[in-house]
Amino acid sequence: MAYSELIKNFERVRDYMRQFYVYGFKSREEYDAKSARSYDNERRRIESWLGDYMSFRQDASGKNVFLSVDSRAIPGNPLYSAFKAKSFTAGDVAFHFYVLDLLADGAELTVHEIVDAITDRYLSAFRTELTADDSTVRKKLREYEALGLLASRKRGRELVYRRTDDGRIDPEAWRDAVAFFSEEDPMGVVGSFLLDKLPPGPAYFGFKHHYILRALDSEVLCGILQAMDENRRLALTIRSPRRRGAETAHTVFPVKIYVSTQSGRQYLLGYHDRFRKFMFFRLDSIHRVVPGPPEPDPEALRERYAQFRRHLWGVSAGAGHGLEHIEMTVRIAGGEEYVLKRLEREKRCGRVDLPDARTGVFTADVYDAAELLPWLRTFIGRIERLECSNPAVTERFDADLRAMNAMYGGDMDAVQ
Amino acid sequence: MLFSEVYGSYYNVIAAILTQAVADELTDGRINNIVREAAFGESVLTIPAALRSEAWPLLTPQNATPLAHAPTMPLTLLQKRWLKTLLLDPRIRLFDPPDAGLGDVEPLYAPDDFCYFDRCLDGDPYEDPQYIAHFKTILTALREKRRLRVRFVGRLGTRHSWACIPYKLEYSSKDDKFRVLTSLPRSTMTVNVARIKSCELLDFRTEESYRPLPPVRDTLVLELTDERNALERVMLHFSHLEKQTVRLDERHYRLTLRYDREDETELLIRVLSFGPVLRVVSPDSFAEKVKERLDKQKNLRA
Repeated sequence: MAYSELIKNFERVRDYMRQFYVYGFKSREEYDAKSARSYDNERRRIESWLGDYMSFRQDASGKNVFLSVDSRAIPGNPLYSAFKAKSFTAGDVAFHFYVLDLLADGAELTVHEIVDAITDRYLSAFRTELTADDSTVRKKLREYEALGLLASRKRGRELVYRRTDDGRIDPEAWRDAVAFFSEEDPMGVVGSFLLDKLPPGPAYFGFKHHYILRALDSEVLCGILQAMDENRRLALTIRSPRRRGAETAHTVFPVKIYVSTQSGRQYLLGYHDRFRKFMFFRLDSIHRVVPGPPEPDPEALRERYAQFRRHLWGVSAGAGHGLEHIEMTVRIAGGEEYVLKRLEREKRCGRVDLPDARTGVFTADVYDAAELLPWLRTFIGRIERLECSNPAVTERFDADLRAMNAMYGGDMDAVQ
Repeated sequence: MLFSEVYGSYYNVIAAILTQAVADELTDGRINNIVREAAFGESVLTIPAALRSEAWPLLTPQNATPLAHAPTMPLTLLQKRWLKTLLLDPRIRLFDPPDAGLGDVEPLYAPDDFCYFDRCLDGDPYEDPQYIAHFKTILTALREKRRLRVRFVGRLGTRHSWACIPYKLEYSSKDDKFRVLTSLPRSTMTVNVARIKSCELLDFRTEESYRPLPPVRDTLVLELTDERNALERVMLHFSHLEKQTVRLDERHYRLTLRYDREDETELLIRVLSFGPVLRVVSPDSFAEKVKERLDKQKNLRA
């Protein structure tokens, strides 16, 4: 099939964009492509969509393509481009403009009237093999009704279609809000579609700690949100890189989307049908979501979640052996009061006590205390005491500290 | 349906071309210009050819169209539902868009469908009338290109009063805070919106007076050892920065990051959070700061 910069299916390009963006050191041979041509085509498409955001480097392993973006300095998320590259047929694009034009002055028309008008008013102006028939046009009208572009009602025995324009919604009045939320909201790609219809917008919003990669999970997220809205179970197809891309199937009742503001990772928390427990799934590993039957008692599961969440530090429910207790005492010098404020603002489900002006005591009871390790390390230099009911956690902390001391030329036995 | 051609770049560009055709203003040159400016890099090879050959029967060889109206498209249900969702977000009060036309639309999701589990707990007070008023004044200044007088209390409790040119409102999802970036005659100043005590519009700025200095940027080189899934964790964590990665061998990678100098302390603790899987290669001054923290720690728990 001839190369096109448009695509029919989003999934394959999603993997490539992610790898170009996250890693950026792989050469052509290392991509898990069906063929070298497949890689070349995907790379060419992404270059076409993203232009200057793509970079190249040549080294001994070959040419490396990568996507490097300082997300604080860009006017908008460039990855949204991928959602604007859906392929279509000549009939799709012609009927799109014909139908919306026919109904633009507020007319209500039947399928037959639309077919006749397409033939007489539009197709007759061209040397084309394209024809309009009832079946094709009816399918397009139904599709547009589902999208919300058209509405129908019965007139006599026939359905008539009209456009759904609503002059009360003023896109100009929404401009600033849409410009902000198109970057900040998890479904911001929809805002990007709205901005495309307006003249170039404000460039005065900026975003720090802005993880643009999550855009690539928008379609999966949209499917999950719809199931949550309808209290339906979901059939998930998961492809985990750790399992070399092997697919697994899970059925869950979706309860919540967990978002990390410090890595951009998004997770679905669902109640697993077979394992009878809450489980997290990374959105970037979910390749397909199919809505299932309604959950018989969604409120009961939400109540169970309200209990469950009280001891979650991040996105690990641990090994199921109960809670782990952790305590850290932080000692600050004069002028370092901001460190105690950090404890307060970053404590999540933990508790902070301040026995005196120079000391902060953090305590928490969580399913998996090892999840706290990265956060605990940010207090290195001020940790006076660290204790955990799971000794493996403090052992790991101390071993890492020894390794770091050795790495930076310190005494390997300094901290025991 | 999110992935649909009706939101596509091609449909938008064709609509722009047909708008000119309906107005009888279209030329071959304009077709190429519209495609180059608004479509993808290689679209210039496909869109003009498909229109001219009538493969997409929308434009005659004379650059005319049988369409009677400049193309427009109603909002889709997905777009309306998304707008309705925004009305439920506490931050929407900072913008106050009209809710007309969305009364009978179901939101796409509820705000509590999401949990931002590692977000700081002291986010900005989006429902405080004074905060909202300050935010709107800043937004007006940005929109109308006006100078501002801002009075605020700094981190150390000192009161400041600045006449400045605001040029960006920056939001951090991690901190859940807005900051306004301002330009002064010889420097730039970033002010947390929540710290502002008063804020008033001044005169319109001139282009000559508006010279925001670019942030001072530094380069950090790290060596990464890929154990405990460190490669993916590190790459994702720092993915919002401009970066380059080179593989040194099967387990080791060199990561070069560009960052704003004012964020150095934050970057330092982020590097520390990864423990021994990340080693600072350069600059020496950054590595020295890591060492200082480790030395202090030795004395505390030795």
